[in-house]
Amino acid sequence: TMLPLLLLLLPAAHAVVELPYRPALTQTPPLEGLTTASTFVLDQPRCVFEGYDNADIWLVVALDKAASTFNNTAVPGTSETAFQGFPGRVPAYMTLNATLANYPCPTPAGDITVLRVGSETSCATDEARPTCNGPLPGPGPYRVKFLALQGSEPVAETDWSAPITLRTAKSPSSIATTGSGHSAGMIAITTILSILFAILLAGLVAMLVFWGSDSCGGSSTFSKPESVTVRRYNTHHVYDQPASRL
Amino acid sequence: MAKSDDYVHILQGLLVFGNVVIGMCGIALTAECIYFVSNPHGLYPLLKATENNDIYAAAWIGIFVGLALFALSILGIIGVIKASRTLLLVYIILMLITFAFEMASCITAATHRDSLTPSVFLKQMLERYQKSEPASNSDKELTKTWDELMLQNHCCGVLGPSDWQEYTSAFRLTHNDADYPWPRKCCVLDAQGLPVNLDGCKLGVPGYYNSNGCYGAISGPVNTHAWGVAWFGFAILCWTFCVLLGTMFYWSGIEY
Repeated sequence: TMLPLLLLLLPAAHAVVELPYRPALTQTPPLEGLTTASTFVLDQPRCVFEGYDNADIWLVVALDKAASTFNNTAVPGTSETAFQGFPGRVPAYMTLNATLANYPCPTPAGDITVLRVGSETSCATDEARPTCNGPLPGPGPYRVKFLALQGSEPVAETDWSAPITLRTAKSPSSIATTGSGHSAGMIAITTILSILFAILLAGLVAMLVFWGSDSCGGSSTFSKPESVTVRRYNTHHVYDQPASRL
Repeated sequence: MAKSDDYVHILQGLLVFGNVVIGMCGIALTAECIYFVSNPHGLYPLLKATENNDIYAAAWIGIFVGLALFALSILGIIGVIKASRTLLLVYIILMLITFAFEMASCITAATHRDSLTPSVFLKQMLERYQKSEPASNSDKELTKTWDELMLQNHCCGVLGPSDWQEYTSAFRLTHNDADYPWPRKCCVLDAQGLPVNLDGCKLGVPGYYNSNGCYGAISGPVNTHAWGVAWFGFAILCWTFCVLLGTMFYWSGIEY
């Protein structure tokens, strides 16, 4: 009777602990490059894997639809979990290997503790580096989780994150550069100057018509005899007149 | 008769005064336009790349109009004092021609300014900044201008570093997204011209990268240029209009 009980206990001893932590994109401080076309930034799992001092903590990255089919017994560093085969041959890859020493708890105030997924470009096509943290090949959406392995046995894992979608860039030819309206200033300048110029041209025409019919033109403009009669600017005549009256 | 003489003298005095002001404004216009044409803010390559540098054409016209106004104002003063019909007729006709040119300059400057929206600069920057072969000389000039602009004004892109993320670009063809989410010139640089914290810049941590767009640094000088030419020219033309009307009135009263 002892043997069946022992057999029942063995699987329980090998169960993976599910930690109540969900990996998430970094909220503080606000980062401009939180998600780019091929990278995203996660918070480090600080104070999450307490007690697992001897475990290797791996990050598992999978496409949203492949997340549910991931098996915790997958071995990192093999071709089944190599970054270079993602996403065609490899539905989920494992990268960013760390130990608890890399994630000290508690976080010192003022430190920015983030993980940039996709930052290693040098090994992205190097098959000899299957655990490369290479740039993601498309906009996703992706889901990630942390998995702690002791030796090659999974001992603890976090929840899968919410789906993370990366940015897609549009083509610059989609930018509309025409169709900007005319400002009020430009319209004011155009209309007022056109009107002024038209008045001046009319004045010039009137002047030339005057010249053409010059005999009675000069004085008729100034109809009031007692006011300005700009008849003669010959100062001799003005001074002569009083003299002649005398 | 003495009374009419007074009026005549007043009119003459007003016209001489008007012409003096026109002469001085002409010199001022020439000086202002020479300043703009000398490209003090180094933005000429950006405007040239928009295939339409009317603002510069307007400034060039302004230089010559200013000199013409000065010369014609002297002619006008002589004509008014001598009360010579021919001189004043020549003056009026030449002034009208100058008026037309200056009008064209003002309207051109104002219209071109309206067409320089952020989208124009954004599209130009994305398509030509750091363009690899085939890169024409104007592309290299444009890259140099943008680098200096971003360095001196501590800004990035037209509206912000996200310009480089939202759109594909010639820059993106030669610089992969993971290593260069935006150009290195957008990072806060130390005295040697190297980023203070490259990882911080790539992440976009406040303080290690320039988060403002450069559109403010571009539109400021361009606006000053365009409105300087357009509105000052407009003011001169309004004054010239009054003086010309007065001269026509004076001319029609001269007996010969």
